[in-house]
Amino acid sequence: MPPEQPGPLKNQVRRLRFERGEMTQQELAERVGVTRQTIIALEAGKYTPSLLLAFRLARAFGVGVEEVFRYEDGDGTGRGSG
Amino acid sequence: MTPAQKNAWFSLAVVATCLAVLAALVPMLGPVRAQGAFGIMGLLGFGWFFFRKPPGEVVADERDDQIRRRAMLIAHFVFWVVFLLAGVACPFLYGPTGAVPVLVVVYGLWLAFSLFLTVAAVATLVQYSLGGDDAA
Repeated sequence: MPPEQPGPLKNQVRRLRFERGEMTQQELAERVGVTRQTIIALEAGKYTPSLLLAFRLARAFGVGVEEVFRYEDGDGTGRGSG
Repeated sequence: MTPAQKNAWFSLAVVATCLAVLAALVPMLGPVRAQGAFGIMGLLGFGWFFFRKPPGEVVADERDDQIRRRAMLIAHFVFWVVFLLAGVACPFLYGPTGAVPVLVVVYGLWLAFSLFLTVAAVATLVQYSLGGDDAA
């Protein structure tokens, strides 16, 4: 089970990666044009990407941005479909 | 370890070596001739080695760029604080109508450069250890 991501922005990168034939972090990094360390930081919730990278990630998975990222308010209500 | 982290460690090693050699040379050669030790800083030019880009490989992205910019900002801030404090301290050290020795100015410049590099390197390493935070 992946660790709880800190901050209000949660992402489904890890889950989506495994649902896409266990795509490796390196493969995803190459597809979106970042380093593997950035994918690691993203999955750990330690890095919030730029809008451009968010769209590139969503496109790499073939889904919408809101399926990859979800904004959670302080009261725990989620925004987005993740 | 990312190229930026390797470069930060390399910068720290160069600065530490330079200051150690300087400390060893000053008693032997005197403060004027010992300045040659600052030539070791020239090794920093080899930092580009860490950023060589193999075909098809990404060596730095928006997160690395964000970390680098923040590290530079922190280093600039620390530099200006120290610069202002040094300016304020001069009248107390040399008197209100005194003169700052040329050698003090030269050493001050080199040490300020060393401080800038050290702060930038440490800020880079700390940010990577914390995860890199958010994009701008």
